[in-house]
Amino acid sequence: MSQQVFQRLVARLVVDPDFRDLVRSMGSAAIDGELTDLERRRLLALVDDPGVTITKTLHKGFRLGKILSMLPLTCQLLGGKRLGRELRVFWRVYASRSFYYIDEAVAFCSFLETRPAAMRLSYLPEIVAYERTRLELQRPRLGDSQATSREISFNHDPEILLTTLARKSRPHRIPARRCTLSGTLESDGSIQWVIADTAH
Amino acid sequence: MSTQPAGYSASTVIATTTNVPKLGIGLAYQGPMRPFIEESNDCFNYVEVVPDILWTDLGPGQEPRYVEDQPSVDFMREVRSKVPLIPHAIGLSIGSAHRFNRDHVTQLARWHEQFHFPWHSDHFSYNLVENGWADINVGVTLPLPHDSETLDLLAPRIAEIRSMIPIPFLLENNVYYFNMPEQEMEEAIFLNRLCQTTGCGLLLDLHNLYVNSRNAGTDALAFLDRLDLDKVIEIHVAGGMEMDGFYLDAHSGTTPAEVWKLLDFTLPRCTNLGGVTFELFGSWFSEVGEERLRRELHIMREYWSRHQPEPERVSL
Repeated sequence: MSQQVFQRLVARLVVDPDFRDLVRSMGSAAIDGELTDLERRRLLALVDDPGVTITKTLHKGFRLGKILSMLPLTCQLLGGKRLGRELRVFWRVYASRSFYYIDEAVAFCSFLETRPAAMRLSYLPEIVAYERTRLELQRPRLGDSQATSREISFNHDPEILLTTLARKSRPHRIPARRCTLSGTLESDGSIQWVIADTAH
Repeated sequence: MSTQPAGYSASTVIATTTNVPKLGIGLAYQGPMRPFIEESNDCFNYVEVVPDILWTDLGPGQEPRYVEDQPSVDFMREVRSKVPLIPHAIGLSIGSAHRFNRDHVTQLARWHEQFHFPWHSDHFSYNLVENGWADINVGVTLPLPHDSETLDLLAPRIAEIRSMIPIPFLLENNVYYFNMPEQEMEEAIFLNRLCQTTGCGLLLDLHNLYVNSRNAGTDALAFLDRLDLDKVIEIHVAGGMEMDGFYLDAHSGTTPAEVWKLLDFTLPRCTNLGGVTFELFGSWFSEVGEERLRRELHIMREYWSRHQPEPERVSL
């Protein structure tokens, strides 16, 4: 039993800077759970080990890589500073649960949707919805259990908006266009997108 | 989930780390290398693959739990029609104290029936820890203490793996950036005990060894001197990079000279060696380029020829 607790606490030292600071300041009193004396001594010794710091950096790199590769347009639109701020909060509230990129990227989309300040950023709601839809369509599926087509509402011209971001430019004064972007998963794994203007 | 199968005892373990085929030189598969693997298969004798990137684990309780990426599996069938395929998994987290992932082993057993692997391997580490209703995946191979308690945890699990997949099972010496204080055994002695007790073989990652020795200031040759090299079935070589005062096992380039020296020392001493594999992350492939990769594999073949018998022709 104590092995299990020990492993969880070692992992927390790596992934949770607040916990590491707490153990650093409070010592053994910050460590709860049933541990042997040896395990307790080991944890206390690891708190100031620079190897734990570099392991934390690798852990963050592992998580950042998932977001950058799965949500390139969202990251481009947020910009480096705001992306860093949002990720710091996201990483505090959402622990990495798997090796798989899609799970974490979809969770980050859900997180952003709960962040009013971020979602006030021009075009972000549309871009988050677009990238999330793309991931959910391409998510590994069990038989016919998932939808193979989805729709996203846009208030700005999606062709111009998506092309601008794909060119790594900041979108500016994108023309208004109330329309629906429909994505359909093809048999080769690609997605066919169709734009339909919304009737007034 | 129980961590010890019923009826386990150390005596049930059967030695299987001898009589592996001498395959020669291997290349670890990454998606961006696919054209290279298709066009340059005269440069290597086998392909190693992380099976977990070719399926998606939907998690415990899901049925089926593993959803395979069909185009990638088809490509692996094509590879397997030309050269042997070796799985090097990352999804087991064999050292996780809270549970043993039998579903993962069952999935690998299914793949063995299909691909007829000469051996398979995983990492001597853990990356999954329990955290309420869902595990945390640290995404980094965390070090297990070199203690008898760790042997007690791993022995029944390895026995179960070996009974479910009847080919040699290897564990890779871990790369670590911190280590446990007050360990019962030195790493090499621990790995010898692990192999003796459980019947598993070793995947000796010489780049991991180099990284550990460089960061911790330990003597890699002394480690190799103490290690029972008869248990080494496969060797990994790779390149790395420096960051924040550490040298990282980044698989970001070609093999450093110091690792070639370790290979030159190790190769003639590994009597049961099956192959030497080069690892490079796909994201670095364009920077390294096909020409340097070909040269890397050529150097590996030269070392192999110097110290090991001609690679065997394996019936496919």
